[in-house]
Amino acid sequence: MPDVNLIIDGQAVSVPAGTNLVDAARTVEVAIPVFCYHPKLKPVGMCRMCLVEVYTARIDPATRQVVMGPDGLPQLALMMNKLQPACVTPVSEGMVVKTTTEKVKFAQRGVLEFLLTSHPLDCPVCDKGGECPLQNLTMQWGPEVSRFDYSDKVHFEKPIKLSDVIYLDRERCILCSRCVRFQDDIAGDEVLGFDNRGRSWEIISKSEPGFDSKFSGNTTDICPVGALTNADFRFRSRVWEVRSTPSICTHCSVGCNLSLDARHNSLMRVMPRENDDVNEIWLCDKGRMGMRFVESATRVTTPLVRQHGKLVAASWDEALTRIASNLSQIAAKGNGQVAGMMSDSASNEDLYAFRKLITDTFQSTSLDHRPGAVTDVAIDEAIITAGVGMGTSLLSLGKGTAVVVLAADVEEEAPLYVLRLRGIKNRGGVVHVVNSFATKLGTSASSDTRIKAGSEAAYANAFLKLVLEAQVASGFDRRVRNLDDVRNQLSKLLLDTLLEHAGVSRAQLQKVVDAYMAASNAIIVYGRTALQIGASVTQTMANAAMATGKCGKANNGLIALTTGANTFGAVSLGVRPGKDGAAANEFWARAEAGTLRGLLVVGLNPAANNPAAVEGLQTIAKHGFLAVQTMFMNETAELADVVLPQMAIAETDGTITNAERRVQRFRIAMAAPAAMHPTWQVCAQIAERATVATPASKNATAVLSNWNYAVTSDVTDEVAQNNPRYAGVTYTSLDLSINSWGRQANESVYYDGTSYTNTEGNGVQLKTVADDAGAALTVVYSPPVEFEPKGEFGLLMQTPVRAYNGGTWSIDSKLGSRQVAAHVLISSADASRWNISAGDAITVASPIGSSTLPAQIDKNIAAGHVLMPDVAGAPVHLALGAYTRVAIRRAE
Amino acid sequence: MLGAFFKGLGTTFKYLFKKPVTVQYPEEKRQVHERFRGRHQLNRFENGMERCIGCSLCSAACPSDAILVIPAENNPTAPNSPGERFAARYEINMLRCIFCGYCEDACPTNAITLEHHYELSFYDRKSAIYDKTMLLVPIDKGHGDIPPVLTQMNRRPSPPAQIDL
Ligand code: SF4
Ligand code: SF4
Ligand code: SF4
Ligand code: SF4
Ligand code: FES
Repeated sequence: MPDVNLIIDGQAVSVPAGTNLVDAARTVEVAIPVFCYHPKLKPVGMCRMCLVEVYTARIDPATRQVVMGPDGLPQLALMMNKLQPACVTPVSEGMVVKTTTEKVKFAQRGVLEFLLTSHPLDCPVCDKGGECPLQNLTMQWGPEVSRFDYSDKVHFEKPIKLSDVIYLDRERCILCSRCVRFQDDIAGDEVLGFDNRGRSWEIISKSEPGFDSKFSGNTTDICPVGALTNADFRFRSRVWEVRSTPSICTHCSVGCNLSLDARHNSLMRVMPRENDDVNEIWLCDKGRMGMRFVESATRVTTPLVRQHGKLVAASWDEALTRIASNLSQIAAKGNGQVAGMMSDSASNEDLYAFRKLITDTFQSTSLDHRPGAVTDVAIDEAIITAGVGMGTSLLSLGKGTAVVVLAADVEEEAPLYVLRLRGIKNRGGVVHVVNSFATKLGTSASSDTRIKAGSEAAYANAFLKLVLEAQVASGFDRRVRNLDDVRNQLSKLLLDTLLEHAGVSRAQLQKVVDAYMAASNAIIVYGRTALQIGASVTQTMANAAMATGKCGKANNGLIALTTGANTFGAVSLGVRPGKDGAAANEFWARAEAGTLRGLLVVGLNPAANNPAAVEGLQTIAKHGFLAVQTMFMNETAELADVVLPQMAIAETDGTITNAERRVQRFRIAMAAPAAMHPTWQVCAQIAERATVATPASKNATAVLSNWNYAVTSDVTDEVAQNNPRYAGVTYTSLDLSINSWGRQANESVYYDGTSYTNTEGNGVQLKTVADDAGAALTVVYSPPVEFEPKGEFGLLMQTPVRAYNGGTWSIDSKLGSRQVAAHVLISSADASRWNISAGDAITVASPIGSSTLPAQIDKNIAAGHVLMPDVAGAPVHLALGAYTRVAIRRAE
Repeated sequence: MLGAFFKGLGTTFKYLFKKPVTVQYPEEKRQVHERFRGRHQLNRFENGMERCIGCSLCSAACPSDAILVIPAENNPTAPNSPGERFAARYEINMLRCIFCGYCEDACPTNAITLEHHYELSFYDRKSAIYDKTMLLVPIDKGHGDIPPVLTQMNRRPSPPAQIDL
């Protein structure tokens, strides 16, 4: 956009046309006070705090010409002959703006005096006190005294609960509507509104349950007063008393930047930290209020070893020695009898050290980051090649961008992507959602295609077919290999058959394909269902990106909503089955066959909801050795020979890699509740005590067998040296910060209390294969997998993700009441067919068993489709993959 | 020489009949000036409610970081203080305190005041930390009414000017 020149308080300013005066002034460090305006929200001009004098060229009403002064320059006149709200006044050429004249000051004092007439002034007990824009603006721009009679103040009952986590104090509200606008425009959950008029004007929640949004915590940040407060932080401390430590959320693959605010080694609150390439300035409620488990009294704090069948407390040395000697003995038998599994939400350092321990010390390639269920996702190779290119910034995308979201429930899997993808659409891009059931993102997308259950792969192949056809005209990316084979194979698939299978019309598909082809920035997002089905969706979509050259450059490529916060790290650092190694869900069979005798589990609970794993683990514990490192006792730890306490993210440091391959650093915020070591150190200590013969493989270098790390960054450095994908990723490079929404020296005055400025590093994005200009991009045909209901199992069941799944993160969380209880969702058609009403107990039978749980009816689900959300306590072991053939009936 | 000797004795003799400047401490305690700043006390309202609302402003004002306040939410049925918030823990480290009185100035409810107690000596450092029970005045030693605005349900202190200090 062309730049517009104007003068603000005597300084020449040049900004793009369309910028408002507040933002224009910020570029030259002129602070125009605001209440209702927020750079992330559309201006509405509600509070009048931003009044300024604006002078534009005088127009002669008769001739409609600019009146020239005697000096030959246009004569200036006060715009509309009165003060203008700067937040809704766009810049125009030649404007002269004055923000500090007596008239402006008079207006500002007036606005503040009015705002304070209804304000209780209870700063001493207000959680916002100390970072409150109303306090700050009153100090800087307000009148010294109020002419208002104190006893005339309007009073409301003190805080009312909008929800279990957000409290509203109506007396403090200045009715700026920031919260309402955030919910409507940014989050897309239109649950807040205004009620009444005049002095009874107030904010209300329109939803049932109250304030039903996964992003509600953000309104407490942007609320410029203490009207909205967070139950998680309520009265815990004053904001100036906390010590903030930069950290990263590990509850999903977004990797939001946050700040752990602690006092006296106790966590007070979690605040968002700004990072435009990740979470902008937001956090979802799970990230904000799901950190209390760290201080739970039920944490495992001391090592436990099994004695006479019981787990008893032991010293670290004893526990570690036991693990090392037992696993060494088993490993000495050869044939990779030791295996390891570690959570894909662990840090890169821990994963690397763990891989090193299992492969180098214990000579095994059986290691995995998945929990060992039949429904485990496939390892996604496509994302390593065709993930979104280096320099991708979703925040910069708008017009000319197309996002295709396939087989993902974004809000449940990676909540913050909803905000970011909605942002792309709000800025003029298109977002097409394709899924087998209705999702929240779908309701606000450009199009929401409902495909038949189990037809994701058919849809992907149909998509690829049309994309390749459309691409012929402009030629394929020169780096692509094996294209002919893929086209050849695809030509054997009939488009009509695929479309019929997917239950979509050609026009519907064509619309998505056209948008994808036309876009200069094209991104494909896929989620859990796609990952469970595997290559026939993920690789097929990658083929489309590779063939059209829509990968390997910024803002183009794939985003996988992975299962863990660091799945990419786990895969690239080798915590995955190697040559001859077993995958986690093959461990149990190997255990029964006697070829797997030692297992080390870190941060996973394979025994949960998985009878096969329980049996396998029991066999291992009985005939071999099972060691578990965990934060909380769980089904797996109960079976173990040795249990080690695990550190929480707040207690250790390291780096993790998010869904867009951005490596980010987290730091130590508090001391662990007892003497503990980070997992990388535990691995080193086990390795030092192990007595297995030196590595047999010739290429195990001296560096690899060196366990001499003093601090976490020693491991980080070794990763950077040994893994080309992580080259250059060091604490130093991770610590580089760029200021995002134009933070300036004095702006905390009016944006206080919102997300923290990022001064501790925006992280480093890793390269994909396609980011190398010379890399060959091999497309691979992957035939569609079909899921057909058959015979007595006449329905298809899916186990979708729920954000509020009752996992470890929810321990002691204020979100406890929002956790989803185990249930099955069925269509209204099936409900009437089997005479089931909502709340009835029904029995779900799959070829491997059956289970009874309450039913809910969803009219948006197609007949024959069953959803059993993957939450704590749900019998997901009945599932055999992305889709499972099941039968349902009313339970007797 | 002898003259000087008698002169000295004379002075001693003269003082024998004067009122002594020393007092028989600890049997007898010296009266301090009205504005003397001694050990703090935590005050109550007339009705026995704690004046402290757990706002931490005293601790923010304290130049020697002597005060610890850990706030909590009042139980609405049995509140410790008027309003939503009270100090669950309140401690002053008398070894750190320099008796400047800033805490008293900062307090919006006149809950903390420096009084006339000056007997501050300890056998160990730990006992120099005065906790809430040691600082609070007895329940019947409150003063001042809770301003009307605070007596309503769920009300808390309003600005200092409105409070009967
Ligand atoms: S609750 Fe806060 S954000 Fe919402 S209108 Fe009131 S002052 Fe504004
Ligand atoms: S979106 Fe994901 S990473 Fe971000 S705060 Fe929520 S759970 Fe954490
Ligand atoms: S008198 Fe001064 S030094 Fe002592 S506690 Fe109060 S503010 Fe701190
Ligand atoms: S300033 Fe007064 S009310 Fe606030 S914590 Fe200190 S003593 Fe209590
Ligand atoms: S009217 Fe401009 S900031 Fe509120």
